[in-house]
Amino acid sequence: MNTMNIQNDFEAVIGLEVHAQLATDSKIFCACRARLPGGPAAESVADVAVNSNTCPVCSGHPGTLPVLNRKAVEFAMLAGLATNCRINPRSVFARKSYFYPDLPKGYQISQYDQPICEAGWLEINTASARKRIRIDRIHMEEDAGKNIHLSGFSVVNLNRAGVPLIEIVSAPDMRTAEEAGAYLRALHGVVTYLGICDGNMQEGNFRCDANVSVMPRGSKEFGTRAEIKNVNSFRFIEKAIDFEIRRQIEVLRAGGRVIQETRGYDSARNVTVSLRSKEEAQDYRYFPDPDLIPLRIEDSWIASIRPRIPELPARKFERFVSEFGLSQYDAEVLLASRAIAEFYEESVKILKAAFPDPSDLRAAAKAAANWTTGELMRLLNEEGRELSASKVTPAHIADLVRLAQSRVVSSTGAKQALGVAWKTGESVETIVEREGLRQVSDTAALEVSIDKVIAGFPAQVAEYKAGKEKVIGFLVGQVMKQSGGKANPSLVQELLKKKLS
Amino acid sequence: MADSKAEVQKIDETLTLRVADLARLELSEDEVRTFTPQLRDVIGYVEQLQEVDVSGVEPLTHPLEPGDSALREDRVEIFADLSTEGYRVPQIL
Amino acid sequence: MDADKLQTIRAIHDSFDKKQASVVEVTRHFLDSVKKKGGKDGLNAFLTVCENRVLERAEAADQILRAEGKVPRDRVPLFGIPLGIKDNLTMDGVRTTCGSKMLDNYVAPYTATCVERLESAGALCLGKLNMDEFAMGGSNENSAYGPVLHPTQPERVPGGSSGGSAAAVRAGLCVAALGTDTGGSIRLPASYCGIVGLKPTYGRVSRYGLVAFASSLDQVGPMARTVEDAAILFDVMSGHDPRDATSATVPKGACREALRKAPETQAEWNGIRIGVPKEYFVGGLSAEVEKSIQSSLRWFESKGARVIPISLPHTQYAVAVYYLVAVSEASSNLARFDGVRYGVRPAEAENADDLAAFYRKVRAHFGPEVKRRIILGTFALSSGYSEAYYRRACQVRRLIKQDFATAFEKVDFIAGPVSPTTAFKIGERISDPLQMYLNDIFTIPANLAGLPAISIPSGTETPDSLPIGLHLIAPPFQEERLLSLAHAFEKRGAAP
Repeated sequence: MNTMNIQNDFEAVIGLEVHAQLATDSKIFCACRARLPGGPAAESVADVAVNSNTCPVCSGHPGTLPVLNRKAVEFAMLAGLATNCRINPRSVFARKSYFYPDLPKGYQISQYDQPICEAGWLEINTASARKRIRIDRIHMEEDAGKNIHLSGFSVVNLNRAGVPLIEIVSAPDMRTAEEAGAYLRALHGVVTYLGICDGNMQEGNFRCDANVSVMPRGSKEFGTRAEIKNVNSFRFIEKAIDFEIRRQIEVLRAGGRVIQETRGYDSARNVTVSLRSKEEAQDYRYFPDPDLIPLRIEDSWIASIRPRIPELPARKFERFVSEFGLSQYDAEVLLASRAIAEFYEESVKILKAAFPDPSDLRAAAKAAANWTTGELMRLLNEEGRELSASKVTPAHIADLVRLAQSRVVSSTGAKQALGVAWKTGESVETIVEREGLRQVSDTAALEVSIDKVIAGFPAQVAEYKAGKEKVIGFLVGQVMKQSGGKANPSLVQELLKKKLS
Repeated sequence: MADSKAEVQKIDETLTLRVADLARLELSEDEVRTFTPQLRDVIGYVEQLQEVDVSGVEPLTHPLEPGDSALREDRVEIFADLSTEGYRVPQIL
Repeated sequence: MDADKLQTIRAIHDSFDKKQASVVEVTRHFLDSVKKKGGKDGLNAFLTVCENRVLERAEAADQILRAEGKVPRDRVPLFGIPLGIKDNLTMDGVRTTCGSKMLDNYVAPYTATCVERLESAGALCLGKLNMDEFAMGGSNENSAYGPVLHPTQPERVPGGSSGGSAAAVRAGLCVAALGTDTGGSIRLPASYCGIVGLKPTYGRVSRYGLVAFASSLDQVGPMARTVEDAAILFDVMSGHDPRDATSATVPKGACREALRKAPETQAEWNGIRIGVPKEYFVGGLSAEVEKSIQSSLRWFESKGARVIPISLPHTQYAVAVYYLVAVSEASSNLARFDGVRYGVRPAEAENADDLAAFYRKVRAHFGPEVKRRIILGTFALSSGYSEAYYRRACQVRRLIKQDFATAFEKVDFIAGPVSPTTAFKIGERISDPLQMYLNDIFTIPANLAGLPAISIPSGTETPDSLPIGLHLIAPPFQEERLLSLAHAFEKRGAAP
């Protein structure tokens, strides 16, 4: 995807609004469930039996009152701290009024003036550069229910109404779809690493709306923007933004006007389509919610939760690349999940003991990365398993790397050993011994096989001596056959060459 | 304030209907005709607030403020006594 | 069974102890009165009667009484006491209409905290009381179920919006009742009907289960024949509720105890300073109200209290502030009445073409006063107007609150009339909403500032003249002192 395909006379301006569902146990203003057990893979609470997860408060019965969930506040604070925001010592909840069946009270409790966090930023890496994207604000609000559309009528399911959300609003600092994708991935990494959001876009707990506009390059005034909604993968969001930029440029080139509207994305045709016109801006009549006293956050509270912030993806990325010498690509793959990243780091920690020399360690770390992103992830994906549910531990990976580096096992043998460890969880040592995976690196024993092969294949020996280097492969293969695959192939080749020189 | 009187005169039947629409209220023709002057009367009456000097005064939205933020611990409690059918509404387009 | 002996909580408990009546007998007595005088053919005070529910509980109470021998007054202060509950307070399994056609079929799925506490303290809820629709009104003429009649002068209004509560208590249909007060809705009907009505400090009694009209102004309060009974109910209901984020973290009331310390000696009276705002006496008061209030003030002076003129400079703006703030909050609080999850859903709505039409057809069933206020409130909050109207009103509200804080540096209580007039005739004021609003001038400021305030009969009522209430306001959370003073006043007997 060539995201630099923006015609030179136009510039795109992109702002992103992300709604992240907070991973609290209960809803934001009542004690109904906010999520089902099972972590990121769990079904959304929206999808359990219709209206089986409601109470008078979240279904807006007369006389009920909201009471704010402390943990939701702490999660919002963590999000703010991790994105360099200022946490406002006083923040106010406001009512956002409009009529819609999935909004039981006829208003959503949100924040308008004085949100909980403001003025932060996130650093992103694209193929070409590093850039800082500003975050205007983070505010707390409640989720709405879901409307189910049937033929001729609709049905309202309030299971999800009242689930806590944070809305993270970026400044319109992005200029390409690639930057937008990088920002989203970075933000996703932050909230999942913090443990405040499950980040499962399919289940709707990390939603993104993109505001896209174009303007003549160098212009000081932004153009009219369209909002793209309901796209639930990073890849599709990037493609949708890309398409929308090109669409708007075409409209302007043809002398038309870009309409301020909401658009969706049709992934089959790779186009954005108009959903509804935003021509008449809604009058939400925001005012401070009189049922909720303004939230006061003291410095002591902030100080008490700051230690809960783990090392975040951006920092880990830097370390993986500089300390362990991983490629950006490998680092990104490892960092996609906090569980995998921490697993990998644990394995490298173990390897540090075996490889004190920094350049040896780098090689080992690189190997560990390959094992993790290669074989291990293949096994996880094949069986649809979460890392926490697998029997493989960081020690397994570390041992495999160590044994392979020192050629005690061949790479084939190591792969085999991992396969067994996956099934049984036994230590690598145990498996290698029992399955007889030790490579034969005993020079004397090898020389016996080598001599046999040299004697048994005179034609190929002659070809090699005549200059046909490739034939060595065949001869090595024969030695391997003799040893039942257990010979150390590179050692065999070394010895063969010596003998035939 | 110079144009507050003009503001009050702006309260005509069109405005009444527009505001009623925002509030999803259906008014009969009679109601529109009766309410509009009553609204104008009340808004005319509250115009006197414009003469109060409120410079530097923070709006008061809670008699209790400043108060302790009342927060709830994150615990689940199942409420079993509500109907569990879907709520039916006309087709949402 | 002597009806005279059933006028107060103390009297009823004495009857139980002396075995002059059982709980069931007393309950049946009140139920009979309710059925005879409380329904549509009578005062129209009761909308729903909970006969089976209350008799079951009365029987259980009798069992306890038989076992204990005497009423456990300290542990169960409202043991066997029949009460009425205003119909904007929820009770699990009981129809709750708020005086509106919109909720004609609404059966609440939970019980309001204040009612729960009363029932835990032994109270027997006879039924739900008529009121102005969604508490919007000052005469109980805005109920979708017909007006409530004044208990002694049936061609007059009992006041509102807790008209049913006031009438029922005065007519002896229940011992006491719960009302709610947003701009005077407890105190005004108490004044018109000649009973005691207390609006607590904002946050002192939980609002959980009170169908909201204006969330930053609403409070639940007791309406009773005596200050002592009001004190007992208040003590039981008050105190922090974790289900209401606006409930104050202050201790439960200890008013009943405090009544024992009501001022008696000259020295005690000398320590009391009662402020009288000069802005209250600038005209508009009826002659009889003015006379009654002055006479009450003279009485306080005669006991040794100091009556001190004070100023509450922003008094004239109180009604304007209220009719912006309250209606704005109300327009939002009433948005949930859309027929989707509960409430009446008329046939025209079921067959509506689209969503907007659906909402309109359902919400067409609000009464005219409610519609008026929703429109006013929506206007005051709407884009382009909310700065000049809603926000400005909130700023002036702060000035009004400051007026009181300043005044309370010099005085301990503030006294005045509850209403410019006595109970007016049914239909007399209904066509001029603004005129009706101006009736609340004396009661509204206490709601705006969140202060505790009480209406007590000034003692000038005769068979030929209507009741007039004396209004007393105290600083925040000083219900104990307020009720003590009111009790002393009440004890003096008829006015000179």
